[in-house]
Amino acid sequence: MSGLAHFFEKEGLATIIVALVREHVEQMRPPRSLWVPFELGRPFGEPGNATQHSRVLLGALTLLDGSGPGPILKDFNDEKSMTDTTDNWQFPITLESDSVKSELLSLIPVWKQARRRHGRSTVGISGLSPEQAIEFIDRYHSAKPAPNPKGMSVVARARFAIDDIKALYLEAATAVGNPTSHQLQNWLWQQTIAGAMILKFQEKARTSENKNLQLIAGSLVPAERVISRC
Amino acid sequence: MVKLVDVPEPERTVIAGLDCPTYGDTPFSNVPPMHERHVAIVSTAGLIVRGDRPLLARDVGYRAIPSTVDDGDILCSHVSTNFDRSGFQQDLNVIFPRQRLAELESTGKISKAADTHYSFMGATNPDALEVKARELAGSMLALGVNTVVLAPV
Repeated sequence: MSGLAHFFEKEGLATIIVALVREHVEQMRPPRSLWVPFELGRPFGEPGNATQHSRVLLGALTLLDGSGPGPILKDFNDEKSMTDTTDNWQFPITLESDSVKSELLSLIPVWKQARRRHGRSTVGISGLSPEQAIEFIDRYHSAKPAPNPKGMSVVARARFAIDDIKALYLEAATAVGNPTSHQLQNWLWQQTIAGAMILKFQEKARTSENKNLQLIAGSLVPAERVISRC
Repeated sequence: MVKLVDVPEPERTVIAGLDCPTYGDTPFSNVPPMHERHVAIVSTAGLIVRGDRPLLARDVGYRAIPSTVDDGDILCSHVSTNFDRSGFQQDLNVIFPRQRLAELESTGKISKAADTHYSFMGATNPDALEVKARELAGSMLALGVNTVVLAPV
């Protein structure tokens, strides 16, 4: 991100970074940065907190009023969370537990409820339906793998199918209440069959002789979830 | 809210210890007054429009996201598992506040929110992005953009 700031500025385009990792901008010295104390993945703050997003955005744009010669790095004032998170959060329903397919089928209505709540879904990057994505990963290492549609290598398809499964489950989990990201991750990796399926896939990818599968192994499961399972 | 010290290991050590390039100087472009700014957002979340080819690891290209694209057709192809995606899944503005930027235009705070915003893949060697970044800067300047908000994840 700091590299982009340098390259844009050299072309005559003014930039401001909303920075999540202070150490990186301190080292790379882009012209202007506003450091925000939010969780990685949330540079403008909490979901649903439009006031906070606007404050960060306007704070960043206001920082552009300053000028060199040295880099400008300012901290965004930390503020109390506007959202009440749900203590002792649990997934809204008891999911089927016979198989990953039955679990998915029982989860789909909750996912649709979440989609209505948030007005959109981020599922779909693999180009597969949720059912196809589950099928693709469940059968990947079997004697009869699911067919891979044209347009993407089989390994890339697997990676994005897993991205879709994770998105589907995490979206469903936000249908009701305001769970923290930690609660969501605990649920996905510790309480769902899909999470266990992905962990198993990740281990096979990590130890595979297929170099491309090895390469995606690190993009499937947060490292602390792999370690906590050992 | 979480700070880097609260990021679980081993990610914290990896993120804090990333080998970041250094640059000899810090360039400063001229910045117009707030009310004259034509602002684009450039994200490193690997955002794409639904149906586009996803950005892959070490991909040095970028994707354009026109304002006409519905929120529900903006997807994240970032390679890393080190950041939370649930905020983005609930609210696009958490990583890509184009709606908030449009509000700044409608209230007259800024001159214009760009018609198109952009995204690169993060977790990429910054120097590898230079050619495409300079190319994109030229394109944005040609469209009248004079200010860029850079948004990581």
